Amino acid sequence: MRYFSLEELRNYDGVDGKPAYIGYKGAVYDVSGSFLWSNGKHQALHRAGFDLTEELKSAPHGEEFIMRFPVVGRLSDK
Amino acid sequence: MAKVTREMVERAGIDVDQLLELLVKNAAAELTTYYYYTILRANLTGLDGETIKEIAEVARVEDRNHFEALMPRIYELGGKLPADMKEFHDMSACPPASLPQNPTAEDILKVLVEAERCAVRGYTQICNMTAGKDHRTYDLALAILNEEIEHESWFSEFLGEGPSGHFMRRGETSPFVSKFLK
Repeated sequence: MRYFSLEELRNYDGVDGKPAYIGYKGAVYDVSGSFLWSNGKHQALHRAGFDLTEELKSAPHGEEFIMRFPVVGRLSDK
Repeated sequence: MAKVTREMVERAGIDVDQLLELLVKNAAAELTTYYYYTILRANLTGLDGETIKEIAEVARVEDRNHFEALMPRIYELGGKLPADMKEFHDMSACPPASLPQNPTAEDILKVLVEAERCAVRGYTQICNMTAGKDHRTYDLALAILNEEIEHESWFSEFLGEGPSGHFMRRGETSPFVSKFLK
């Protein structure tokens, strides 16, 4: 299992063809293939490359929408 | 652009550019849904399909009305629609409601209900953002939300998820949004 620091996660912002990864509850999910994450942006409000654990609390959907994406690693504590 | 309108919304603490992006994305969802629903409706054939064709048609027409109602608000706030139709399609707030391969009526219903659920989430978000701050956008988003909730309920009921408590439209379409279309 690969570990990502928050700083490393920022590199996976989905911009210019880069993969779009998001952090959620310690796991890192690959959302690159999602229509709703085109160019690393979701609904004008959320960006790939970040830990979205807090942001999901105010989203109009639950974590099941994140957990359907493939896990590519874990967030490290460092 | 309605300058003072935009200023009032900004002063209320709303990021207007972010709100505009959401409105344009949802306008794209409405117009593309209108297109995809045209295909879905055409493929609602046979005894099962014909049963839901009329209600799918109402949802299709009302989604187009939602696009028409959103458009002026986007321009009032200083936004605009993209000149490129493909760009508009690809920025939609909801995935394409594409026709499944060799679909049954139930397969089509599942596409319809998922599209409506995406819309319900989207307008709930806009209502949450604008409540008590941007009264006109809130009023519009709430009107659209009311209709999207009814669409979801209709299709959900046909899928056997439980009664919606609704009956099909009597008379004109868009009972909530029509005030924005006059």
